[in-house]
Amino acid sequence: MNGPVIHDAHTLPVDDNVNPYAFSVDLDGQWFLQKGKMIAYYGRIDFHGIGHGRLDRLIAHSFHSPLHAADWVVAEGRGKMLLADRSFDVNSFDLEDGNLTVRSGNLLAFQPSLSLKQSIIPGFLTLIGTGKFVAASNGPVVFVEPPIRVDPQALVGWSDCPSPCHHYDHQYLTGVLGGVRAFTGIGGTSGEEHQFEFVGAGTVLLQSSEQLMPEIATGGVPQQAGVPSATPPNQPSMPRMPGQLGDLQRRFGL
Amino acid sequence: MAQFRLQGSKVLAVDLSGDAVKAKNGAMVAYEGEMSFKKMTGGGDGLRGMVTRRLTGEQMEVMEVKGRGTCYFADRATEINLVTLRGETLYVESSNLLCTDAALRTGTSFTGLRGASQGTGLFTTTVEGSGQAAIMSDGQAVVLRVTPSTPLQVDPGAYIAHTGKLKQHFQSGVNFRTFIGEGSGEAFQIRFEGEGLVYVQPSERNTIGGDV
Amino acid sequence: MPFRLLNSRMVEAKLIPGQRLYSQRGAMLAYKGDVSFTPSITGGQGGVMGMIGRRVANEATPLMTVEGAGTVMFGHGGHHVHVIELSGETLYVEADRLLAFDGSLQQGTMFMGSQGGVMGMVRGQVTGQGLFTTTLKGHGAVAVMAHGGFIELPITPQRPVHVDPQAYVAHRGEVRNKLSAALGWREMVGRGSGEAFQLELSGNGTVYVQASEEKL
Repeated sequence: MNGPVIHDAHTLPVDDNVNPYAFSVDLDGQWFLQKGKMIAYYGRIDFHGIGHGRLDRLIAHSFHSPLHAADWVVAEGRGKMLLADRSFDVNSFDLEDGNLTVRSGNLLAFQPSLSLKQSIIPGFLTLIGTGKFVAASNGPVVFVEPPIRVDPQALVGWSDCPSPCHHYDHQYLTGVLGGVRAFTGIGGTSGEEHQFEFVGAGTVLLQSSEQLMPEIATGGVPQQAGVPSATPPNQPSMPRMPGQLGDLQRRFGL
Repeated sequence: MAQFRLQGSKVLAVDLSGDAVKAKNGAMVAYEGEMSFKKMTGGGDGLRGMVTRRLTGEQMEVMEVKGRGTCYFADRATEINLVTLRGETLYVESSNLLCTDAALRTGTSFTGLRGASQGTGLFTTTVEGSGQAAIMSDGQAVVLRVTPSTPLQVDPGAYIAHTGKLKQHFQSGVNFRTFIGEGSGEAFQIRFEGEGLVYVQPSERNTIGGDV
Repeated sequence: MPFRLLNSRMVEAKLIPGQRLYSQRGAMLAYKGDVSFTPSITGGQGGVMGMIGRRVANEATPLMTVEGAGTVMFGHGGHHVHVIELSGETLYVEADRLLAFDGSLQQGTMFMGSQGGVMGMVRGQVTGQGLFTTTLKGHGAVAVMAHGGFIELPITPQRPVHVDPQAYVAHRGEVRNKLSAALGWREMVGRGSGEAFQLELSGNGTVYVQASEEKL
């Protein structure tokens, strides 16, 4: 009978997965972590809240919006550190002078060499530069190439420039049958009237689930004309059709 | 002796030939052959175990499964880890214990402050003797070795079990200069020192101590 | 229409014009090509009677018809997905566990209570899943969801299998099911072992059991 694999401070992988749900960081310096994603560590590591003292400079470089810095911690020191997130699958991604936009709730940790910016799409964060980051997903991530249409809840993120936009099933929304359905609810909706559409060169990351991870705040944005915002002021409320995506739609400013 | 084997990573199959195992109440998902299920009073052995449990509030609903054939156990799709004990003691959060060989003794032990941080009480379940036990984790568990030169810090919510000669104490991982409301999130950790193995799950239960 | 597992929780289906498949509403994750999704009132076959049957049976898990040319990916709620291939036999499955299935399969509902008599009715009570189960018959593939994945247990005349009704996912083949009370009534009230009811399956076939006692 073979027993479980036993890891120690030396055999834990260097910046790699221990199993599909846990990632081991070989720390020598600094990493940014989302609060509470560290599950265990060996060595001398300090955890600092961000936003004061000598760490200010770091923020200026890595967090371009100080508004959401409170959700992050800096791990500093030497040792091996295990990261995990509610037993979701975790994966590391290497960027080389690249960019990747990811749902804010899915990002766990990143190297300070990357800079984190708010995406203009509410609820998403963009990482730019060279370095490694760790993201969680509900089930393994599937990489697909555009053109593709994606259920909003299955979207983890995208890299390069596949121009995300909304797509509606017009055949369904218009027409007599659609109208009857919208008013009476008879027949219901297929639940797939609205997708995100990606075209162009790039990669789209999908998670195998329609269950979203709780979002973390990405920080507010200045309320000014032309800035998409998660909670637009005085937006007339739209009648919701049965089976539509309520909150999600509002979040994306539909 | 009951034979424990894993069917996938989330279902435990136990082959019984007239002997018995103790399992978490209601964790049977299927069986083949002849089985009988009996609820046990209290988790510990005998009257004293029962009284201890009453006092400590360490609730463990246990049933005894006895028979011939194969019995399958699973609980809320959690991952199952087999632990083979050869005379040593396994300390495990009672909610993470799925099944033990009937030959193993179960009891409770005082764990100090850690329990308080989790709100699970100050007592933990101990399993002693020789035989197999199955413990559950939310996601595949990572087994970490602690040596005198490499102590280990664990988030209280991710800890599930340990074996060996380990001293544990509670430490604050926060830099206290941080402002309230801007804590690091890793507010409290358990530090393990000595010689032994610690089982950690890739998930964190809600903890009271750390705002994880 | 072959389903291909992309990973443990995601399945991909290739659509060819003229063929159709049914899926649970809202279970589409992504698609490529020209594909349309139409809510299906009757769940396809069965017509009005089928619909009434469904209403009565409370097996009204909303389905949609998926047609066109392209590739569609399905998944739901992070549940594990398994593909069961049918070659002429009948699959009995709770409707809310169906992720997607071949449009050529013949759908029906079966009154589980008729097999187990009074105890069969109790089974419906126990699982909260009603007395009716969906049946799929013919040649084709079915993608089924289970919480935490499932194990297959063969049933032979010499080897009946007892299953916790909450962990039961589906079964196929010539199988009789019977709900049995494992313990006396006194045990069941308050201080039972938690295994008061068991579903006994006997005959020839396979039962699928999930690694959890949670309903979907």
